[in-house]
Amino acid sequence: MQRYYKLFVLTLAIGTFVWSVSKSASAADEYAYDLVHSSVSFKARHLDISWIHGRFNEVEGKFSLDRENPSKSTFQLTIKTESVDTANKARDEHLRQPDYFDTKQFPTIEFKSTKAKAIDGGYEVTGDFTMHGKTKQITLVLKGGKEHTFKDVKRVGFSTELSVKRSDYGFDPKAIGAIGDEALILIDCEGTRK
Amino acid sequence: MPEPWLYLKSIVASAIGSALFVLALGGLRWSSTETRLKIACVLGIGFGLVVGYYVLGLQFAWPPFNGLDRFLTIILPAVLMIELIAAFEPVPSWGAWLLRLSFAASIPRILLHGSVYLPSHGTELPVWQAGVTLLVCSGLLASLWWLLLCLSQRSPGVSICLSLCLAIQCTGLTVMLAGYIKGGAAALPVVATILSATIVVGLVSKRFGAVANFGIASIIGIGVVSLYGLLFIGYFFGRLSAGSTMAMLFSPLLCWVSEIAVMRNRAIWLVGSLQLTLVAIPLSVVLSLAKRDFDRDMAPLLYSDRRANGLDL
Repeated sequence: MQRYYKLFVLTLAIGTFVWSVSKSASAADEYAYDLVHSSVSFKARHLDISWIHGRFNEVEGKFSLDRENPSKSTFQLTIKTESVDTANKARDEHLRQPDYFDTKQFPTIEFKSTKAKAIDGGYEVTGDFTMHGKTKQITLVLKGGKEHTFKDVKRVGFSTELSVKRSDYGFDPKAIGAIGDEALILIDCEGTRK
Repeated sequence: MPEPWLYLKSIVASAIGSALFVLALGGLRWSSTETRLKIACVLGIGFGLVVGYYVLGLQFAWPPFNGLDRFLTIILPAVLMIELIAAFEPVPSWGAWLLRLSFAASIPRILLHGSVYLPSHGTELPVWQAGVTLLVCSGLLASLWWLLLCLSQRSPGVSICLSLCLAIQCTGLTVMLAGYIKGGAAALPVVATILSATIVVGLVSKRFGAVANFGIASIIGIGVVSLYGLLFIGYFFGRLSAGSTMAMLFSPLLCWVSEIAVMRNRAIWLVGSLQLTLVAIPLSVVLSLAKRDFDRDMAPLLYSDRRANGLDL
């Protein structure tokens, strides 16, 4: 009986040690993208006289923030192209076609970080940006990073802007026409952690 | 934005290129009339397509990027190659059919590669449903190909090729009206080359006193695969409805009207006219529905553009 008691205590001690070590090793906080309090929108020039605005309604993402070692922080975002919304149903249908987003062939726009560093007021994140089947390395300046706990849910928020040339991502130059080649993507996101 | 002037130039260039090539190759006595005309047809259509797409300035990527790229860089060259092999006399009929059926079975998989319709690329259909879809799509193509080739052997003539031209032209316009301009434009050189090759091969066949129009089987093969490929892309990647797609795909089968008892032993021009009229009826309905949808959904976007440009006030 005493032998079993010793074995139980030993297992408990090892378990507690392993748990505490693993907890201290992963100092990064994992956050999930909060769709309700975030938005990914875009604007593009129309006839070079004004801007057309739109947004993507379905976005997923996660990020981990390591405050002690920011270079270990990671950011990931997946935008579903089918959810494009410019407040005009016919135009949205047109944008889903192969002349533009080709949503059946390229259902997502993705960003996956490969490098991060803390800067004044946020993070500078370099990563792979994939749109329309083409991947390019880009650097984003994420402003923010303030934390707030509301009803036991820890939140953190970031904002960034990204300028992309559609022709760089294989969009048909003839389809660019009245809509400018360059588009500005605006990301405002909140991450939640329970 | 659609570019009608460019489309016209592309149609004319591909038609002339194809016709001259068929004439040059088919007119020379370097082989038996049948083999020579078949090969001339296939190579002439291939040459016409290259010229037409060059003038059209249609950009495509290698490795292929999307459905249309795969159609232009894999499907069209492959069907030309298959019909070229089938044109040679030593190739038995069953050998040619084996090639055609294998190709028909692989076309849907090739066109859908990397899209949301295949389970490996993570979404819309479960594995069994994707498998059934591919199987049904291949079956439809093989059936259409077989039925039209059977008909061409029973009642030789150019009306089947002309009906395929009508169907492909209608497909191009409908795909464009549905908002996929590049996909619709890709149909134009196909129609022009098939039409000019059909006319030239008909004339050359008569010149050599042939009973049948040699090369028609090759033209039908290329026409059927082109029609199917463009409709497939329009349906799965564009906004073509299932009803319109089916109507356009099967409209050339109305040429079978020539086989009903009343139509036998009638003048060829009468039968041909009836065949083309019957084929044109469902195509006209599809086109008018597409125009109605365009006027309702897409035209307001274009007209507002024109107003902003000061073109349409």
